[in-house]
Amino acid sequence: MVKYLGKRIFYIILTLFIVSTITFFLMKFMPGTPLTNQAKLTPSQIHQIYKQYGLDKPVWQQYLVYLAGVVHGNFGVSFQFSNQAVSYLIGSRMGPSLIIGGQGMIVGVLLGLVLGSLGAVKANTWIDTTSTIVSILLVSIPSFVLAVLLQYYLGLKLRWFPIADWGGFIYTVLPTMALAASPLAETARFMRTEMVDVLSSDYIELAKAKGLGKVGIIYHHALRNSLIPIITIIGPLTVNIMTGSMVVENIFSVPGIGEQFVKSVLTNDYPTIMGLTIVYCAMLCVVLLITDILYGLIDPRIRLSGQSN
Amino acid sequence: MKLNSLAKLGGVALLSAVVLAGCGSKSSQSGSKKQEISWMTPQSISTMDTSKMIDLYSAQVANGTNEGLLRMAKNNKVDPGVAKSYSVSKDGLTWTFNLRHSKWNDGTPVTAKDFVFSWQRTVKPKTASQYAYIFANIKNANQINKGKMSPSKLGVKAEGNYKFVVTLDKPQSYFKYMVTQPEFFPQNSKVVNKYGGDYGGNSTKNSYNGPFILKGWNGTNDTWKLVKNTKYWNAKKVKLQTINFQAVKTPSTALNSYNSNKLDYTTLSGTLAANNKNNKAYTVFPQASTTYLEFNQKKIPALRNVNIRKGMALAIDKKQMVNKVMQGGDILPKGFVPASMSKRNGKDFADQAYVKSGTDSNLTEAKKYFAKGLKQVGKKSLSLTLMGADDDDSKRATEFVQSQLTKLPGLKVTNQNIPFKTKLTRMENQQFDIGLSAWIADYPDPSNFLDLMVTNNSYNDGRWSNKKYDALVKKSENQDANNETARWNDMVQAEKILMNDQGLVPLYQQGQAALLRPSVKGVQAFTTSPQYDWAKASVK
Repeated sequence: MVKYLGKRIFYIILTLFIVSTITFFLMKFMPGTPLTNQAKLTPSQIHQIYKQYGLDKPVWQQYLVYLAGVVHGNFGVSFQFSNQAVSYLIGSRMGPSLIIGGQGMIVGVLLGLVLGSLGAVKANTWIDTTSTIVSILLVSIPSFVLAVLLQYYLGLKLRWFPIADWGGFIYTVLPTMALAASPLAETARFMRTEMVDVLSSDYIELAKAKGLGKVGIIYHHALRNSLIPIITIIGPLTVNIMTGSMVVENIFSVPGIGEQFVKSVLTNDYPTIMGLTIVYCAMLCVVLLITDILYGLIDPRIRLSGQSN
Repeated sequence: MKLNSLAKLGGVALLSAVVLAGCGSKSSQSGSKKQEISWMTPQSISTMDTSKMIDLYSAQVANGTNEGLLRMAKNNKVDPGVAKSYSVSKDGLTWTFNLRHSKWNDGTPVTAKDFVFSWQRTVKPKTASQYAYIFANIKNANQINKGKMSPSKLGVKAEGNYKFVVTLDKPQSYFKYMVTQPEFFPQNSKVVNKYGGDYGGNSTKNSYNGPFILKGWNGTNDTWKLVKNTKYWNAKKVKLQTINFQAVKTPSTALNSYNSNKLDYTTLSGTLAANNKNNKAYTVFPQASTTYLEFNQKKIPALRNVNIRKGMALAIDKKQMVNKVMQGGDILPKGFVPASMSKRNGKDFADQAYVKSGTDSNLTEAKKYFAKGLKQVGKKSLSLTLMGADDDDSKRATEFVQSQLTKLPGLKVTNQNIPFKTKLTRMENQQFDIGLSAWIADYPDPSNFLDLMVTNNSYNDGRWSNKKYDALVKKSENQDANNETARWNDMVQAEKILMNDQGLVPLYQQGQAALLRPSVKGVQAFTTSPQYDWAKASVK
């Protein structure tokens, strides 16, 4: 296990190194500068601004300085927020994104599991149909539409939750609901299909024959075995939540990082784009690592070390 | 990890969500006249360092927290600010400001030295202020900005603690407006030196001498407060205790928040503005900003023909554009210089310089002019690209203009919408045929617009050039600079030439549609940035 983890962490670092290198050079190919009023700036001012951002050095030097910075968690200074270090910008805005993203994931996957299992256990009944309709609906409505609807009905009309803003658990409810929709629907669909399969397999028949109760069979035998494909989709779902959260954050005025990402792309704020790409990449690597470890925990047939004894 | 423990955890989270849902927020609106308002802003603050500020929204906040020599007032007037009075020498070159005994929020006095410090800091190249050019007319500013002279040579002087003297290169009657702008605010040298590069990076790394103090801004967050500054010299007159700011980036969210009393002011755009036109709180704040088309005369020789330009200008139905396409608070243009920005003896510049044909729409006339023009340049048809930024408004505008221009026989227009910064760079380098541009005034004087179209001005992207126009603008800045009437007339004539020659096509004047709660009184709105002043506002 330790050996496996070490190997994986080495690969994560390698991936991050490659990603940061590619991002750096891609950014260098794109047009754009930190200058806003170029036509009105004197050459000596432009030189000062370039110097301030370290853009006066040759590209290979910039690359080394950048790499050294990345190792120390220093991504440089943002172009948009003239005095702010990118690491501070990310640090101070990452929290809310993680909270709503994490909650959305947990709520979505758990509800999805329940809904999917219900559909499978009561296959071809009205419960199954309802569960299918709900998941199809939730997967087809884009999160931003759902967000606007939730905001209008639960926020403005019923006044159950704040319309927007940030400041405590109550403010996270609507964004969480909007973000949970897609993982909920995906999980429910996968869960139902898998569980229907599992429920018709021989060992379930055997368990039934042994006289085990229905609840016991589902809980001990069917559920755990149906979880493997769910673990597989958690990775892509996390990516979806990361990207989907940008719009949802905007709609609910969550002071998160998603909006900054979009804005930094629109304003050619390279230090922020690069910093965020690396942070997102690192998060994704960690999520993938966790799902791989979960495989082993749920399915004993999968050995992490890859060696069969 | 065991599955059952996870399931339980999820259950708890869900249950608490349901329980908490019951105790939703209560309406904050109570019957009392609490002097507190909530203000929506489309973007968060980018910096509070007035030397480095480049966006309207940071400047807006700075106008609440700090004060310059003078304050902008209604009808193109100025109120005393840190300066209780000022005088201008006969030649118009020396401006002397007599400062009052006022204080920074830390209790130290605001002196003439704070102005000298701030202005020198903005102009010196090391600060890399992107707005330093606005100081260009102050003696030696350009040389200092190029790094060829020491900042101490700037034409500003503190005579004692309370007399501040400015020397200009050329007389500038609108200098009084310029000193109301954030770039010209004083800076507390002790605080600036203490924080260095971090100065203005959050609400505590700053000092305030205005009606309010900024609180709760950590450098990147979306909510903050302006709280009444008890040390402000005119604090007695300031009625509001708190202004809660919230940066809301989604227009429908802002509207919902307004409707649930969480905000007292919100901007509206597009259909949201159109849908709320009958709301009692609906207000349009005209802005000193014109959106216009530029013709690249350097790249496309046919565009040097005035009839072709006129034909294209007349073909665009501006009324339809304002009412049906843009839908926000935008208004019909009267010319290049926007209406209600600059007045003299009660008369609006835009009315005086009005040339009907310059902003009119008439398709039959348009076709005649265009056909005549084509004949003159010896062409059967023209194929042009219309360049605009890729935001929603620009896209809508370019699509509409394209649909109108293609009504002219022999004209083919292709649209190209690209990111804003790329568009700026391309237009600055004459890599376009027709371009959609907008200009927002820095100060309420027609020269701010007319200067742009002078031959070889760096913002004259289309390279339109007219000797008479250049001469008039030059005259208004030199021999007529001290003669208000002559100067005004020069500028009126210049604008008329520009419009008669159709050097550009004004499409609309921007207006900010907004909802401002009727109980909030006394907010002053201006056509130039900073747009609002809350010093005299109150809740009734």
